[in-house]
Amino acid sequence: MREITYAEALNEALRICLTEDERVVLLGEDIGRYGGIFQVTKGLQEVFGPERVVDTPISEAGFVGAGVGAALTGMRPVVEIMFIDFTTVCMDMIVNQMAKMHYMFGGKGRVPMVLRINIGAGRGAAAQHSQSFHSFFMHMPGLYVAIPATPYDAKGLLIEAINNDNPVVFVEHKRLYVTKGHVPEESYRIPFGQAEVRREGKDVTVVATHAMVIAALEAAAEAAVAGIDVEVVDPRTLTPLDKEAILRSVKKTGRLLIADEDNKTCGVAAEISAIVAEEAVYYLKAPVLRNCSPDTPVPFSPPLEKAYLFGKDRLLESIRRLMAYA
Amino acid sequence: MATEIVIPMLGITVEKGKIIEWLKNEGDPVEKGESIFVVEADKVTTEVESPASGILAKILLPEGVEVPLLTVVGVITRPGEEVPAKYLKAAAAVATTTPSGPEFAVSRPPPPAPTPVARTAEDVIRIVPAARKLAREKGLDLRTLTGTGPEGVILFKDVQTTAATVAEPSPKVSTLARRQAAKEGVFLAALQGSGVRGRVMRADVERAIRQEKAPRLGKVIPMDTMRQVIARRMSESAFNAPHIYFFTEIAMDPLLTFRQEILADFEVRYGRHLSINDFLIKAVALNILDFPILNATIRDKEILIPSDINIGLAVALPEGLIVPAIALADKAGLAEIAYQRTDLVKRAQSGKLTMAEIERGTFTISSLAQYDITQFTAIINPPQSGILTVGKTREELYLLNGNVASRKVATFGLAVDHRIIDGVVAAEFLQHLKLKLEKPTFTFLHL
Amino acid sequence: MKLKKEKLLELYATMQTIRQFESRIVDLYAKGEIPGLAHLYVGEEAVATGVCAALKDDDYITSTHRGHGHVIAKGAQLGPMMAELFGRRTGCCKGKGGSMHIADMNIGILGANGIAGGGLPIAVGAGWSAKWRGTDQVTACFFGDGSSNNGAFHESLNLASLKKLPVIFVCENNLYGISVSQARHQPIIDIATRATSYDMPGVTIDGNDVLEVHQAALKAVKRARSGEGPTLIECKTYRWRGHHEGDPNQGARYRTKDEIEVWMAKCPIHRFTGKLIKDKVATRNKLETIDREVLQKIDAAVKFAKESEFPAVAEIYEDVYV
Repeated sequence: MREITYAEALNEALRICLTEDERVVLLGEDIGRYGGIFQVTKGLQEVFGPERVVDTPISEAGFVGAGVGAALTGMRPVVEIMFIDFTTVCMDMIVNQMAKMHYMFGGKGRVPMVLRINIGAGRGAAAQHSQSFHSFFMHMPGLYVAIPATPYDAKGLLIEAINNDNPVVFVEHKRLYVTKGHVPEESYRIPFGQAEVRREGKDVTVVATHAMVIAALEAAAEAAVAGIDVEVVDPRTLTPLDKEAILRSVKKTGRLLIADEDNKTCGVAAEISAIVAEEAVYYLKAPVLRNCSPDTPVPFSPPLEKAYLFGKDRLLESIRRLMAYA
Repeated sequence: MATEIVIPMLGITVEKGKIIEWLKNEGDPVEKGESIFVVEADKVTTEVESPASGILAKILLPEGVEVPLLTVVGVITRPGEEVPAKYLKAAAAVATTTPSGPEFAVSRPPPPAPTPVARTAEDVIRIVPAARKLAREKGLDLRTLTGTGPEGVILFKDVQTTAATVAEPSPKVSTLARRQAAKEGVFLAALQGSGVRGRVMRADVERAIRQEKAPRLGKVIPMDTMRQVIARRMSESAFNAPHIYFFTEIAMDPLLTFRQEILADFEVRYGRHLSINDFLIKAVALNILDFPILNATIRDKEILIPSDINIGLAVALPEGLIVPAIALADKAGLAEIAYQRTDLVKRAQSGKLTMAEIERGTFTISSLAQYDITQFTAIINPPQSGILTVGKTREELYLLNGNVASRKVATFGLAVDHRIIDGVVAAEFLQHLKLKLEKPTFTFLHL
Repeated sequence: MKLKKEKLLELYATMQTIRQFESRIVDLYAKGEIPGLAHLYVGEEAVATGVCAALKDDDYITSTHRGHGHVIAKGAQLGPMMAELFGRRTGCCKGKGGSMHIADMNIGILGANGIAGGGLPIAVGAGWSAKWRGTDQVTACFFGDGSSNNGAFHESLNLASLKKLPVIFVCENNLYGISVSQARHQPIIDIATRATSYDMPGVTIDGNDVLEVHQAALKAVKRARSGEGPTLIECKTYRWRGHHEGDPNQGARYRTKDEIEVWMAKCPIHRFTGKLIKDKVATRNKLETIDREVLQKIDAAVKFAKESEFPAVAEIYEDVYV
């Protein structure tokens, strides 16, 4: 199987859906002629035209709301917001309209729309272009949330998201756009709510999101040398969450580390910790640990941003701490 | 048809309002939509419009009284129509409400400050959840475990190790015992089993519970429900019923001999052991037939004398005294009495009596004959009016026609409620009982 | 514009239905029979009626928190509407939305919206959707003077004009955004002037003249259907009651009784009644007959609502997701 990048995999997914379903349209800033800020929509406007791959004005509320209105009336729009940070500009359209219409209208009125956003720091983009608050959207009832970590998952989850009748917030990761992986050429869908156990192990469970999946696998490889057998679980979607997979793993190992790049307080890791404390407490042989970003805005200066970020070394530290409870 | 005027909904945070001005008087004509009164709520005043046209027949709420929203404050009728009676009553009710004057704070004592609980180091046992669960399953005392984890926390493997090295796993425990222990929080491993090969039975668990609850020096025991009820009834009886006490010595030889003669055959015939108490129960019941006032109970200004004579026998349990009653003791034969007595006492001891079996009692016998108690006083069991006490049968010397002889006697006591039973009556009752018991053959022929 | 007699009587009946429906809500709300909030349209009937009379069933509208008028004019059934206000399971949104979220996809009602300006981008989306799908459906977007200051208004008009979308933006300028008068919330008087910033036609009209509203709407609809793009219609009108039921003395905290009376004298129904009788389109008897028919329908709707069950508690989890 050939290897392509995460961004290329997303591009393929969009291309397939635009071809197969004329109700699919793309809206976003600089997605057409420029091909998207991370080149995810490269070449699509040439093929499908400016009416279906639309360069919008800088009007997030306007075009996200337009996406909602179009979805309500028979279209399947895929709207891109350049960075997760900009979702705040149109939070009403996401939270009060996109997420709630199906419920408020008693089930009459679907919003089969995909909102593509991305997270992740590390490029010196500073506080307003580097956040990772995807837990906001996991928190909001009515929204589905996808968090692909690999090119394979990116393509399969995006095709599923576009075909799903629920409104989906599709959370990509800046540093993952250039990572490569094996991706089938044909169309395929990965169902929401199915986690993937990326590595099986019996000593420690690491539940990781996005780029932390890569870090977890690296940490697991090193830990194996030290005789520690780490299991890595990638949830792949936050809503619906494959709770069973996480609990199964925790029941097996008894030691849990959650690695997620959101700020620590009230992030995804906090929610998973609570679920485990509620439903698997008697299987815990050690406290639950979280590796998350510090509770600060993302700093600009390189050494500070470096300290803000974390990777396999921090995870290994936590894994060793957990093994002190072996 | 009359139309109610209410204080309307005034916004989502408002709950009460008061009319500060009626713009119309009783008897005035009103038009639908015309302002009819001014209401104040949350320091805002609003004019309220009439919901109908007609006559403002009745004003139910005067100015200045604060009421919840939607309270009916007036009635509009069509000209010539009568005001429905229910509104006239309502007017009277509202009129007695004190108008809201200046707010005065209701002084309330501040809640007591929570007493700080001194936390000793022993209170918190540091152990991971999986280890705690395993320890409980293995019946291990957490206080005996050593932790090898960070900061001395007890790890899963620590419990595993300890569980494996315990010479004999926790003694076999019966299912009932385990369930009882789990319910009461009794630590099984510390119990001595009285069953086969040291098996811990439920009785052992119950014994442990009783020991736990028994009074000890320096201990505070909360009163359980039964004790609280006993305490209340005893003081009720003691304070409401003026007790007078009478004692007599009853020669027991005739009765003892009588019993001895029939004991073996009785057991063969009825499969039951005949107790002295059975004779006492029967004799007292027959005596009450002659002195019905001893069966009485007071209700307000009436003395009720039930037709059934149900004699209660006091049974001592660790938790307290309980008095099941033998039903229709005057009509029952000795075998029947023996049967009832055995059954009631057994069920009293296992806590399986019904309320009816206790509440039906009309007179009580309380015996301490198995103790070295010559005589004693008792508190009447409310709502009964008399109680008979039985002391220990003793051998003593006495004068019979100038000669010294020995006999067995027991001192019987009688307490009665002096509100309805006079001394003479009590004395006669006791006198006749003595005669009955000293002449068992005649008594128990039950002619 | 010469309208057929049936159409004129339809306009009358619609305005009357809105007026009576809202008046009934006043009573029911005051008695505590309806939970939640109520924002009533009394006095503005001509706007919704005039605009929706220019639309087809498969055209769309987006509405506001003060949306009963719009949805009735668009053809929502009174029974399910009333039941929704009562929070019953038979409501058009199964009791899950309430007054501010009345919706009926079958007749193009894309929901009343509780967020000021919330309906504008959605209307843009609906208009865009028609264009993508190649239909001739148009979308009427109702919003108030208050929302005309909201970012979403500007983004929506810009997008609609840029893409020549078939949207009719109907601004109901009732001179107040809750308690703040227009003079205190924007420097302009005629909101229609903002249309020039977005290179689209904008007209200011008497929102209490149902025929004038209808005429302006017809023109805008024609323009939209022919692919020429959006229009902004500003309707000058006035709400008789407070912002919400419970607003003390019908907004007396921020407006005068005199002002209310001046506008009540311009009652759209009263004026239209006079015109119909003068032009001999209908007699007073005929109009009163219509009034009685409307009353019966309202009564039936209230009865239906009161006799309906509440949703079961378990339904709280239904429809969060598809």
